[in-house]
Amino acid sequence: MVVEGLRFDNIGLPPQAEALRDEVRAFLRSNLPASALPDSDFNHGHDAAFSAALGRRGWIGMTWPRQYGGGERSFFERYVVTEELLAAGAPVSAHWIADRQSGPLLLRYGTEAQRERFLPPITRGESYFSIGMSEPDSGSDLASVRTSARKVDGGYVVNGTKVWTTDAHRNHFIIALVRTDAPGQSRHEGLTQLIIDLHGDGVQVRPIRNIAGDEDFNEVVFTDCFVPADQLVGRAGNGWEQVTSELSYERSGPERFLSAFRVLVEFVRVVGPSPTDHQAAVIGRLTAHLMTLRQMSISVAGMLQAGSSPAVEAALVKALGNDFEKELPEIARLAAPHVADDHRFRATLAQTLLHMPAFTIRGGTREILRGVIARGLGLR
Amino acid sequence: MDTTQLVLDTAQRMFSDHCDKALLDRAEQHHYAARLWEVIAENGLPQLATPAGGGTLADAFRLLRVAGRHALPVPLAEALVANHLIGASECGAFDGRISLGIADSHSAEGGEVNVALAGVPWARAVERVCYVIGDPLEIVMLDVSECEITEHVNIAGEARDDVRFLGVPGRCGAPAGIDVTRVFEWMALSRAALMSGALERVLELSLDYAKERKQFGRPIGGFQAIQHNLALLAGQVAASLRATDAAIAALDTPRFPVQVAVAKARVGEAAGVASEIAHQVHGAMGFTHEHQLHHFTRRLLAWRDEFGRENYWQLRIGRQIADGGADALWDFVVA
Repeated sequence: MVVEGLRFDNIGLPPQAEALRDEVRAFLRSNLPASALPDSDFNHGHDAAFSAALGRRGWIGMTWPRQYGGGERSFFERYVVTEELLAAGAPVSAHWIADRQSGPLLLRYGTEAQRERFLPPITRGESYFSIGMSEPDSGSDLASVRTSARKVDGGYVVNGTKVWTTDAHRNHFIIALVRTDAPGQSRHEGLTQLIIDLHGDGVQVRPIRNIAGDEDFNEVVFTDCFVPADQLVGRAGNGWEQVTSELSYERSGPERFLSAFRVLVEFVRVVGPSPTDHQAAVIGRLTAHLMTLRQMSISVAGMLQAGSSPAVEAALVKALGNDFEKELPEIARLAAPHVADDHRFRATLAQTLLHMPAFTIRGGTREILRGVIARGLGLR
Repeated sequence: MDTTQLVLDTAQRMFSDHCDKALLDRAEQHHYAARLWEVIAENGLPQLATPAGGGTLADAFRLLRVAGRHALPVPLAEALVANHLIGASECGAFDGRISLGIADSHSAEGGEVNVALAGVPWARAVERVCYVIGDPLEIVMLDVSECEITEHVNIAGEARDDVRFLGVPGRCGAPAGIDVTRVFEWMALSRAALMSGALERVLELSLDYAKERKQFGRPIGGFQAIQHNLALLAGQVAASLRATDAAIAALDTPRFPVQVAVAKARVGEAAGVASEIAHQVHGAMGFTHEHQLHHFTRRLLAWRDEFGRENYWQLRIGRQIADGGADALWDFVVA
């Protein structure tokens, strides 16, 4: 491509990764909990037993070194496992964040002791992490976080509030972005990441009900919460760099365009083997988008595999993918046949419609992502 | 650097040197770009995907992406595919100016055929029109001096002529393993490749303009509203390049019919969205004939309609998925 900073190499999944696909499907046939309505949203389904079973198969922390319980497998192999899980609507939310970004963060910036302590239980599907970035007054403007960590003997004392913290009431740890020093000229200085025990003293977790009626996300309040110094991640004051390094992992995966996939599955089911031309074209159009997004996402996996950090490409996959996730249910809704036996389609559609507002907000809003892309295009 | 990249880099330079706005304007005023074609032919590009040319059909489609960046007003796509077919046939090779048609039907009696071909690119300016028909494929060569040509143009002002022929044509037999559907798919991919290149150019022009054009005392590219539109445009361009690359990579695989459908449907859709955004970013300036933007956006609008509009290919994908049923959808996606 002529524009620098927007590179999507023409790569496919290697045979070694493809070989895993049947294994994952066989695993799902015997381990997928009977669910009335599979949901391909990665935030759906917190299931410790399922995560533990996945861990036993070696499918959490797949790319990590063996000494920490990882499988030393490629990003492509991880890609096949994650996309198969999402497409089937498996309950993956318990271990998802730990596997996708907390673990890689600790591998990159954590101490040896932290890796030995935190990574093996993650790979066993027993230890779950939450993201501690947003605050009541800090959403897209992440550098404005105010949760403070005051240096004391042996560690830090944390005060402040994190919010929209998915599964904080069910997870074990939160990696919180806190202020250890006043902002300097860039506003990005003085930020630090701490691993905090969600069940420890001085931590209060309050559920927040969403429009679907679920209580998945929370407010997490820290009141004089002591965090031992050995739970500092990386370097004090280096939090901004560390947080942004997570974003390529966070933004480019198949969860950024598969959230509404089950609606398409049920649409194909409800229209049956003889769709109208319009219905067939709808299936074709949405599938063409989906396949292209997947190829772009695999290109980013290839860059991660090669050790680069393609932040702009990742933002582009997420921006395009989220728009697709939101367009899919609307298009399917209008093209669906009026038949009596469409309960499954309507229920899946309803579930997705009620969770859809989050697609273009979580992990970076559509507006922020477009800004990141614009910067990549040299406009900022 | 591999040979293909060398060819593409050479082509890029050649097209830059020999194809400018003035040439594109003249090409719409019945002045065929003869000199441009000579340079292209001297460098062997039309023969790229023949045994003598040393390249593959995949290389030909990569070359067309470069051609799309320059809106070349010559039938390079048709020549590449025609020469590829002829190279694998009894005729062996044709070295002159050539275009390609796909016939729905023709009547043949004795050695004579009666055929009508619609919308053949630059039939008026070539020496031969090669047309293909049927399964198994038959390749037929028409001498243009023996044809009746009715001139037409597409929305981009590119020659798309109707050709009638009654007489004894040249016959090239049939390369094995190719039917007329495959040739149609190749031509659809040629349009996806050309559009990908034109989309790259449209993005480049839009970015340059947004950085140069000042309003309210600063470059318009500094405004968020413009930035967001350009981010959307970039997404469409990146998706188009990726879908086209995937189809090119699938050329010799059983998956090609699906990948070409995805590419033509996806890129065709991007063509409309991207043209709209590019014109909005360029304001009134981009609406003038004097600006070069329209040479690319009008081609995008033309090429998305050639060899199957988006809904043609969407329908083909959709019917195949409906046949397989809901529980096979995911397998279709990842196959």
